Amino acid sequence: MQIKESKQGGVLILTVSENLDSSTSTIFESRVLAVIERGERRIVVDCGELEYVNSAGLKVFLLAAKRLEPLGGKLVICGLAPSVLMIFEMIGFARIMKIVPSLDDALQALGGNAAPA
Amino acid sequence: MHEGSITVRLPVDLREIERLNRIVRQFGDLNEIPSRALYALNLALDEVVTNVVRHGFDDRSGQEVVACITTRQGELMTVVTDSGRPFNPLDVPAPDVDVPLSERTLGGLGIHLVRSLMDSLEYRREKEKNVLTLRKRVR
Repeated sequence: MQIKESKQGGVLILTVSENLDSSTSTIFESRVLAVIERGERRIVVDCGELEYVNSAGLKVFLLAAKRLEPLGGKLVICGLAPSVLMIFEMIGFARIMKIVPSLDDALQALGGNAAPA
Repeated sequence: MHEGSITVRLPVDLREIERLNRIVRQFGDLNEIPSRALYALNLALDEVVTNVVRHGFDDRSGQEVVACITTRQGELMTVVTDSGRPFNPLDVPAPDVDVPLSERTLGGLGIHLVRSLMDSLEYRREKEKNVLTLRKRVR
């Protein structure tokens, strides 16, 4: 697993790639909680290069969304591959989290600027 | 899908799960298991074995978990056996996936996935071992 971080128009973008499983999700969890801790409130997790997620990884998304909600923040997830999207839907996340196709959609959902064309 | 079977014995260690997934993918390719069913099987196995590694033993050294996968007549059957403490994953309450975010709990996600990905699950305790049978119909 790899995590890249960038910022665009006040929105923090975390790009997570490869496998989010029981061995790697603790690293992802500390990273996500750290950015919330330091004050980031509008967060996109770009999963465009994410190949696999299990319940340990899913738990991090749930934890992040739950942390952000009472702080007035918001988590948006984008770029899910069909197989990964199916898992997010199976676990009911599509109802409680904002899941959109592309990074541009995610930035728009958070009121940030879309990437320049 | 061709008929076949494979037995994988693994040390009780989280790092072994990736190796198990690789072996299962190769077995799936050889036996032409449809890709969706193979993906479901790999994720379900990941969840089940992760549970055994995390909760099954006080001392994991020298212990193993055994997964036996059989394909036959439109069905994928997997039996996971371990000699850890008695644990019936079917007793774990399912999370309520219809409640709002603030009421969602963090536990039970893994077993909920396994239940959703497979068509049937059966647990028995036999000769001091946990034996979990997972079945999935494959067209």
